[in-house]
Amino acid sequence: MGEHIVQLERATKAFALPEGGTITALHGIDLDVERNEFLTLLGPSGCGKTTLLHAISGFVQLDAGKVRIDGDDVTERPPHRRPVNTVFQNYALFPHMSVGSNVGYALDIARTDRKERNQRVGSALELVGLGGLENRLPRQLSGGQQQRVALARAIIARPKLLLLDEPLSALDRNLRQAMQIELKTLQAELGISFIFVTHDQEEALTMSDRLAVLNKGLIQQIDTPRTVYDRPTNAFVASFIGASNLFEGTVRRSSASTTVATADGLQIEAACAGGWKPGDGAAATALIRPEQFALAGAGATGPTIEIAIEQVVFTGLTFQIHGHTASGRKIVAIIAAIRRADVAQAEKDGKVRLGYDPAAVHLLPDDAPAANEAVAGVAA
Amino acid sequence: MSTSSLHRRRLAHLGILLGPASGFLAIFFLCPLVIMLVYSFLEPGLYGGAEWVFYPDNYGRILGFANPDFEVYDPVYIAIFLRSLRIALVTVAATLLVCYPAAFQISRLPSRWKNFALFLITLPFFASLIVRLFIWVLILKKTGFANMVLTSLHIVSTPVELIYTEGAIVIGMVYVFIPFMFLPVYASVEKLDWSLVRASQDLGANGFQTFWRVIFPLTLPGVIGGSIIVFIPALGNFIVPAVLGGAKVMMLGNLIEQQFLGARNWPFGAALAMLVMAAVLAILFFYIRFEARRGDDAPVLR
Amino acid sequence: MGSLRNVGVVGLFGYTILFFTFIYLPIVLIVAYSFNADPINMMNWSGFTFDWYRQIFGLKNTVSENALYIESTEQLLNALRNSLTVAAFTTTIATVLGTATALALYRFNFLGKKFYRVLLFAPMLMPDIVLGIALLIFFVGAGVSLGLKTIIAGQCSFLVSYVFIVVSARLAGMDRSLENASADLGADEWTTFRRIILPQAMPGVIGGALLAFIISMDDLVITYFISGVDTQTLPIFIFGMLRRGIKPEINAIATLMLLFSFAVASLGLYFRSRRG
Repeated sequence: MGEHIVQLERATKAFALPEGGTITALHGIDLDVERNEFLTLLGPSGCGKTTLLHAISGFVQLDAGKVRIDGDDVTERPPHRRPVNTVFQNYALFPHMSVGSNVGYALDIARTDRKERNQRVGSALELVGLGGLENRLPRQLSGGQQQRVALARAIIARPKLLLLDEPLSALDRNLRQAMQIELKTLQAELGISFIFVTHDQEEALTMSDRLAVLNKGLIQQIDTPRTVYDRPTNAFVASFIGASNLFEGTVRRSSASTTVATADGLQIEAACAGGWKPGDGAAATALIRPEQFALAGAGATGPTIEIAIEQVVFTGLTFQIHGHTASGRKIVAIIAAIRRADVAQAEKDGKVRLGYDPAAVHLLPDDAPAANEAVAGVAA
Repeated sequence: MSTSSLHRRRLAHLGILLGPASGFLAIFFLCPLVIMLVYSFLEPGLYGGAEWVFYPDNYGRILGFANPDFEVYDPVYIAIFLRSLRIALVTVAATLLVCYPAAFQISRLPSRWKNFALFLITLPFFASLIVRLFIWVLILKKTGFANMVLTSLHIVSTPVELIYTEGAIVIGMVYVFIPFMFLPVYASVEKLDWSLVRASQDLGANGFQTFWRVIFPLTLPGVIGGSIIVFIPALGNFIVPAVLGGAKVMMLGNLIEQQFLGARNWPFGAALAMLVMAAVLAILFFYIRFEARRGDDAPVLR
Repeated sequence: MGSLRNVGVVGLFGYTILFFTFIYLPIVLIVAYSFNADPINMMNWSGFTFDWYRQIFGLKNTVSENALYIESTEQLLNALRNSLTVAAFTTTIATVLGTATALALYRFNFLGKKFYRVLLFAPMLMPDIVLGIALLIFFVGAGVSLGLKTIIAGQCSFLVSYVFIVVSARLAGMDRSLENASADLGADEWTTFRRIILPQAMPGVIGGALLAFIISMDDLVITYFISGVDTQTLPIFIFGMLRRGIKPEINAIATLMLLFSFAVASLGLYFRSRRG
């Protein structure tokens, strides 16, 4: 028995396109899912996250590679013989069956004793807060209630692993946020692993123990939400999660400092505390999150960037300042709303000087071959 | 290995589901059609039936290349064909005119009334065709209801001959085919996004322009679909002309029936039937082309 | 402008009233005249009577002997019996074959699937008369004597399509993820078929069967060509009566047939609305 509840080894899957050719949905993915963890698969549509989920539940047969669940090789097993259950995207409640029959379906299939079955259906519905609704039909329930029925149905057979395929995408914002907390609580209560698929980065950050970002059939990064946010491994992850200002350039390294010199003449200072430490002359991208910018007063000591302001958006908690550098590079900064007087002044001036902490600058290896002739310019 | 046994099982399931129907349709649908096609090229036997000789003169008799030793080209057959075509087209146009405005009115009713109206329109479709046609004999004949109304309103002084005319055939067909036209047209109208109509008006189009440039093109698929499913049974119809056209107005259907049950010249009847088939296939071909062109836009919209 | 609009609305409403009058006035007329006592001029109302109904069932002969219009009650009942027999067989066969085909095309992807779709639409688009004479040539050529058996086989050749289309439409509206959900919860293919697919396809199957039944009872053209001389179904019997001249009993028969088909159709539509 391995300590991992799920192990994928070199999982590969390609689909034939109707217009000819193939698309690779899984590109030799290795993935270990810990026991009792909440793992989120995040990525844009078509990144392979749903295929990955289906490879575990058995709806997709891998072209190559292996799937192990709780140590057993289930690669060749059909879905109905795998000890996992799924909460489907649009719930997939059987419309011709009552709520009770929907929830009890897995137990009926397994020919569970009638008394035990009824008792378990009752307590599963109780658990999701729908006690006593056994005799309703799915269409008589609200979207949120249907979601809970789907959840109760998926956990009643006590699966070793619960898969959730964008289950919250059909709910409105408030309900979605409430369900996020509830799912997290439920996972802790049940003590099983959840694998949750979403394309909503906020949802992924809120709920996960670990987060796997997928793109083009590959796992780009898998780590805790904070690490993925603060230290993305490449430009894709950085721009997919959160807003970001990316500066591609060449590393200039000396004993005193490390800077990234961009083609349009900016010099971004980086402290390189932890993470990737590129050598002199390496191609790299510097990442500065918008909220890491601050309005630089007259006596600012750290490095700064001056931008011409295009637009200031007030969101209640913050100001979003959109602007560009002298060379035309777009910059976004987020400034706390308490600085409204300074922001108003900057808006009047039409330009602003933004300061940043080199320790907060994160360097990414350039995944695109950079054709940059390093221009030594002066970043103000 | 397990995959191949799974594959074999699925193949067996497929065979069980599809086998009987395939066999049935091959024997009782495809086979008769092929035989009919062959028959249309055979020489008519003296006392019904056919001789196994290649004989293009069945078609020649209709289309004008008959070998005078065997058959005589008679333009009456082309005339009957053209008349059938004309009656079918007039029927399509009349049915469309009857159904299109009603579809609009009904699509805008509150949903309870809408469902009831749809129920009322589909209901006669389930009633016996022959009974529905027979009613029109009672209405249109000389001593019938229509003449009764016309004379009592002093529109005509003496009863007029309404039945046994092309007009009677068209009325009968329109009456019988209303559901065929109404339902596709209604489906298109129902789907119509009324905000587009408001947008058109907002952009300065008047009622007619809005209808012609926005409403009509958007409901065109239903109009075309309905027209085709009315045209096909109208063209080869023989019941309606037999009941309402009497012996006076003959359509292709009656001619074919005559060849089979009266003159007993089956190969010639088969050739006439092939003519009906050819017309239908031509229409369907154009329809499929139209659909395919429309289909090309779909991925862009998605 | 506003008043012009109102004229349009009123006009359209009035038009719709006319539209329904066109559809239903003839039906009202025939029902009314089936109770008309005048045996010669049916459009001349000369009192209320049940005589025509009594006569078609051979219960009573109120008019003089030479006014005995109906061929014989025996013939009518025989035609009715034939129609019901044919409809019972065709409905069963067409429902089984049509449903199986719809399920096969829904469940499986295979070479020639497109061909099957065309094959199953073709009989519906084929003009009746073409299929009718093709079947006639076929049966006579194969040496099968015309009768109930040929009628059943001939009608099934197009009724399969009707059932197929109704069931396919139902299946197309079905959510594919339900099958995945069922498999996910431990059901094998057969269980999923029995407990998920079949119950959901059922309203389509019942609707298709009712449609097949009604069309079979009503089919005239194809049956006309392949019924032979001795076998009459109800529509053929009435067609024959019409061709020999109109007699007042036809009103009564027509009224009864309308009543019957409206009842069956209402039942079907009610069933469909209940299953939603």
